[in-house]
Amino acid sequence: MNKQDQQQFFREIIKQHKGIMFKVARAYCSNEQDRQDLMQEMMIQIWRAVHKYNDQYKISTWLYRISLNVAISFYRKNSSRAKLYTSLNGQLADLPSDDAPGNERQLNLLEQFISELKDMDKILVILYLEDKSHAEIAEIIGISVSNVGTKIGRIKDKLKARFSQLKY
Amino acid sequence: MNELELKQLWQTTNDKLEANFVLSKENADNITRLKVHNILGSMKPLKFFTILIGMLWVTIGSIVLSANWESLWTANKFFLLSAALQILLTASALFIYLFQLVKIYQVDTGNPILKTQRELAQLKISTLWSARILFLQLPLWTTFWWHESMFTNWNIGQWLVTLTITGSFTFLSLWLFFNIKYENRDKKWFKLIFKGKEWTPLMKSMELLDQINRFSAEPSADA
Repeated sequence: MNKQDQQQFFREIIKQHKGIMFKVARAYCSNEQDRQDLMQEMMIQIWRAVHKYNDQYKISTWLYRISLNVAISFYRKNSSRAKLYTSLNGQLADLPSDDAPGNERQLNLLEQFISELKDMDKILVILYLEDKSHAEIAEIIGISVSNVGTKIGRIKDKLKARFSQLKY
Repeated sequence: MNELELKQLWQTTNDKLEANFVLSKENADNITRLKVHNILGSMKPLKFFTILIGMLWVTIGSIVLSANWESLWTANKFFLLSAALQILLTASALFIYLFQLVKIYQVDTGNPILKTQRELAQLKISTLWSARILFLQLPLWTTFWWHESMFTNWNIGQWLVTLTITGSFTFLSLWLFFNIKYENRDKKWFKLIFKGKEWTPLMKSMELLDQINRFSAEPSADA
């Protein structure tokens, strides 16, 4: 792929799959500025990795891997990049505030539950809530399908226990 | 709230928010113009500055020592050897540190998460090697001022004090060299040495590696 093709490919995947980055950022960052920074970092890492994309994997699998890897490892507050990319921040999307009507309490509880989880469990919950198949989750994380099943089962139990505490 | 309702709640909220999320073509284009393939551009200024100072120290030190080797050898062999070893150890630590930084930068984030995170955590933890090597310099700071006249003019008391200091520093540096390792991360002395903001990424990497190991080791349904 030459540079122009890479740019075209990058633009396409960002346009079509921006939701993946958005959802991961939402799960990892509670405030808007942090989300924007994280999404920016994700896009940079996607651009860096474009030439390595292996089409034996679905693009969404590859993007989940990068987005989640970045969310865990690369995201740093007050990094030098914040200054370097100031001009980009202004153009990054204005994310709407979290004022989803109804069900707000459950959503807050869910977000709180996710934020309390350790990194690896957090990934599992995000992919589980995204309704990914166990096979795809296994491919994204790099563990066996049966292992995914066991771990999801445990997370579901924890989630159920948390929501059972909520009185309607 | 059941499983289905939970997933629906998550997805509908996200879909709604995502619908309002606009990413301009111009923004994506700007990313492709950034020099993100340059490792220096991705470094924090403080880290960059520290490496620069280290490189300057090694370069200037090497030039001064090699240019004046003969005269220094005649004037004070202890100073020359201490300084040369100190510069050699600093250069080795710097080289290892830079090599690991490049390796970290080259890690493919498109690989499965467990593989990538394990690789990154192990590489970050291996920066401990730089700290181990730098601690080996400790005794050299006690031998800079040694002089050949010591051997003829000094009494037992002076020797006792000097050798105790140098011996203690040598013992301490060797002990640290052999004991600064991932396996000792929970020891009090380890946490004391690696306390502070600059070591936070290293300590976090250790925590993450612990987590990854536990996550991989957990018995699965087919175990």
